[in-house]
Amino acid sequence: MSAGPITTRASLLTRLRVMSAIAVRMMLHDRLKSIGTLVGVVFATLLANQQAGTFMGLLEKNTMLVANTRADVWIVPRTLPTLQQAAPMSISVLHRAQVTPGVAWAEPLAFGGASLKVPGGGTEQLTVVGTRLPRGAGGPWNIVRGSINDLREPGALFFENAERVKYGGMNLRSQRELNGRTVHAVGFTWGLIPFGPAYAFAEYDTARDLLGLDRDQTNFVLVGAQPGQSPEQLRDALRARLPDAQVLTSREFESKIRRYLLTQTAIGVSFGTSTLFGLLVGFVIVALTMFSSVIDNLREFGTLKAIGATNWDLAIILLVQSVLFALSGTLLGLALVSRIAEGIRSANLALILPPWLYLGTFAVMTLMCISASSLALIRVRRVEPGMVFR
Amino acid sequence: MNDSLAIDARAITKTYGAGALAFTALKGVDFVVNRGEFVMLVGPSGSGKTTLLSILGCVLTPSSGSLSLFGRDVIAAGERRLPDLRLANIGFIFQGHNLVASLSAIENIELLLELRGRSRKQSRIEAMELLSAVGLADKFDRRPSDLSGGQRQRVAIARALAASPPLILADEPTASLDASSGLAITELLRRLATERGHTVVVVTHDNRIYHLADRIVRIEDGLIQGGETTDQTRTQRAQP
Repeated sequence: MSAGPITTRASLLTRLRVMSAIAVRMMLHDRLKSIGTLVGVVFATLLANQQAGTFMGLLEKNTMLVANTRADVWIVPRTLPTLQQAAPMSISVLHRAQVTPGVAWAEPLAFGGASLKVPGGGTEQLTVVGTRLPRGAGGPWNIVRGSINDLREPGALFFENAERVKYGGMNLRSQRELNGRTVHAVGFTWGLIPFGPAYAFAEYDTARDLLGLDRDQTNFVLVGAQPGQSPEQLRDALRARLPDAQVLTSREFESKIRRYLLTQTAIGVSFGTSTLFGLLVGFVIVALTMFSSVIDNLREFGTLKAIGATNWDLAIILLVQSVLFALSGTLLGLALVSRIAEGIRSANLALILPPWLYLGTFAVMTLMCISASSLALIRVRRVEPGMVFR
Repeated sequence: MNDSLAIDARAITKTYGAGALAFTALKGVDFVVNRGEFVMLVGPSGSGKTTLLSILGCVLTPSSGSLSLFGRDVIAAGERRLPDLRLANIGFIFQGHNLVASLSAIENIELLLELRGRSRKQSRIEAMELLSAVGLADKFDRRPSDLSGGQRQRVAIARALAASPPLILADEPTASLDASSGLAITELLRRLATERGHTVVVVTHDNRIYHLADRIVRIEDGLIQGGETTDQTRTQRAQP
């Protein structure tokens, strides 16, 4: 072949393929640095998801009662900020709800804190939930022992299985003193511990008696819609009838509880800060290792520029590396955090990692790695091809 | 502008820094190379030969003067067009070979061939031919770290010749090699350049290879001191 000016050029696709191949080779060649970068991404994924998963778990714990009732609509006191701050309201709300068009059923729900005397001394706090049988719309669920029908017995309750030791080695038929009254266990649930004392379930009248709720009072009213009636339609109909109460669909009530936790408590800020801190540490590790890798390979980048590679070509190398580090690191990090979630899962705490969190992590980590590589990119742009002759 | 010239550099100056710290490396250099010529640029350290080579290689912009490569005005092309200009016209051989460490010998050559528009398949064929031409066909899959200094420089020569750019610029190609390897490498470069019709400029201070040049240009203190035609050229020209 005789020499002469070369008139052909690589297409954009070819350049992308060639530079991607170089990116991968550089990653594999510089293993120690690549492992360092990967550790940064894994660490950020792990920390951010551990915090986010715990936060999601706490939110779920606080909304699980609403999520697990079979009610379409909740009627709650007018000024109620969140579930745990239940206050009495007039039972007339229940009666007016029962005669509202579109209502299939409406039942009262008692809810409040109680003190359990533990044999051998001391007390344990728990949250009593009183539900009307036979529907049992307000629980219990996650039953590990016993039958819900046994709640008809006077003084019968379902307790949290994970708290049995704390309750003094409680078994089926064990008797305890709760708010000064003798009660006994007829069943156990698992994992029903909100961000506070564990739930204990009783028949409505038993609970009302334990909580000292008057006959003409209730804490909440649960409402089921007739077939063909949406929760929103039912809510609107009830709102028209009950101007002195808050009427919310179950989903709205869940959102209200979440919003309260996020805005009125320090939980959101605390977990948000930890998550951001994890991302920040990951960002710094990735940025520094990628920058350091560029410094180590400065001569190679200079050579590539000298022989005709453009800044865009070199940007492709860094971009591909960022994305690969993000994907592989996130995959590893998520696998690890899933194993950790399995390992630490208990009745008190469960890391909740919904599918959107997995997808979101990929997106966030990719963005984090790309932005972290910008430092390296700036350095690469400044590389003078003339350096290869020095 | 003369289209028969490969390189036409006129009144080239290059000043680094400014004010009291300014240093002028080239002080109005005229440097002309004919197409197909094999020129050696020689001179002591700090004489400005590498600066001139960098300007000829379009990796450094002169402070003033004009430069044309194969009839094309490089200065007027502008900074943004320089990568394309280098890709189309120049093959580089560096003092330290500067191969991409993570790529094998053949991949280093394929990289350039693909950037120069060859298909993947064609690149593999041509890269293998080039490796055969430099006597390294059996080491095509070796990384630079697995090759000797001489072998790396052979791969660098093969890479510089990839897709046959008209101009080859070599910066001290024998500097890191022993005497016999240095001579063998330069002979190889000379032979391939002659066979393929490349114009070659070699910066060197290795007087053991001077006889391989068509012309030797001396540069000292930023100025061209003169040129001479070697016996090699005269012998070759005398051949029928």
